[in-house]
Amino acid sequence: MGLRGRFLSVAVGWFALLTVVLVAVPLALRNRLPEPMASHWGPSGAPDGSMPFAVLLALQVGIWVLIGGGACAGALRDSWVLRRRASRMGLGALLCGGGLFLVGLQLVTLSANLDVPTWSGAASLSWGALLVVAVMLLGGWLGALAARPGPDESPRSSGTATETIPLRPGQRTVWVSSVRNGWVSGIGGSLLAAGAGFAAVALLNGNDALWPHSVIMIVTGLLALTFSSARVQITEDCLRISYGPLRRPRKHIPIERVQRAWSEERSPWEVGGWGIRGMPGAATVMLRSGECLVVGYVSGGRFTISIDDAEHGAALLNTLVARAPTSTGSS
Amino acid sequence: MLLTLDLNDLRPLHEQVAEAIRRAVAEGSYALGDRLPPARDLAEALGINANTVLRALRDLRDEGVLEFRRGRGVSVLSRPDPRSVIEEKLRALLSEAGQYGYRHDDVIELIREIS
Repeated sequence: MGLRGRFLSVAVGWFALLTVVLVAVPLALRNRLPEPMASHWGPSGAPDGSMPFAVLLALQVGIWVLIGGGACAGALRDSWVLRRRASRMGLGALLCGGGLFLVGLQLVTLSANLDVPTWSGAASLSWGALLVVAVMLLGGWLGALAARPGPDESPRSSGTATETIPLRPGQRTVWVSSVRNGWVSGIGGSLLAAGAGFAAVALLNGNDALWPHSVIMIVTGLLALTFSSARVQITEDCLRISYGPLRRPRKHIPIERVQRAWSEERSPWEVGGWGIRGMPGAATVMLRSGECLVVGYVSGGRFTISIDDAEHGAALLNTLVARAPTSTGSS
Repeated sequence: MLLTLDLNDLRPLHEQVAEAIRRAVAEGSYALGDRLPPARDLAEALGINANTVLRALRDLRDEGVLEFRRGRGVSVLSRPDPRSVIEEKLRALLSEAGQYGYRHDDVIELIREIS
């Protein structure tokens, strides 16, 4: 059986097992649970929200179907996903960590609701919530570890040195490009507006309970807006990247740090989603699928950004890199 | 978008910028309807004033090459006339030839010889 078959059979088996647990355990305990059940706990640890048994069950199974189905669809959609170690480990972490998180959440919820007459009498959740998060992190790590063995092939890449740009003395040649994800900026803008609305209501009515919601929405909205667009400039001495409508934060890569550059077709499935992925030294800025500019550092790391007209950018960068030793020698 | 400015060119800067953008669009790095990078970033990379770039963009809009849309920025409306691209290149060639002492007739003669 190939890698794809193995991964899918393990993923489907795991998915089925957890689905059975998520459905069977609450049904077995049904007679000992209140109707409705406590489903949400406040910061004090006391229950502050309830849901009918059937809705809570459907919600938990529904989220698991989304996670499991999404991971399997992601693995099937592009044959490169499973052949790259990083994306395989990402899927393993999502399936294992996400599944254990949901099972843990369900067990904690059930045990708090067990043998109480009404939902408001449910037990406190304080330590249980922490335990669930710990189990999720551990599960994510184990899932990534389990998916680690196997090939690590590089994605399709032009890889070869692109054409060079003729540079003449007395001329200034630059490359400028931009990318924007309309969905992300739309969501960011809406979140920001909703957060500001909540803040206005909280301020006018003196309703302090709305502040946390407002702050979370404003912060998430600002983050989404900031990383919904990017612009890249290549000038004589450096490569500059700026994010968002405010052009902050900015990233600055001196030409001396660049070994070579090329363009590559990448999709969010290959790098683990949209946004900024990976670690410093191997980061990917993925705002849309398609053409990406890849910059290989002298130090061995690389930086990838999805951007229009990447081919010309790579060509100019390679030309500047090739020219750099003589220009630094003469200056 | 790859842009080249000739630092010895004596023509107004906005004309040179318009020529550079026209050439980049003609070379096909942007398809019809594609959005151009913001003027502010073009200006910053070229080390010139943003108003100069805006003037060049407006000239190209009047030529029918670019389209300005509210909230959508500047996008490519049509490919520039190939003749205007060749003309710009010839003008640059003639000015460079002039620096070496070649007259226009000399250049025409040279073109005949090599073609």
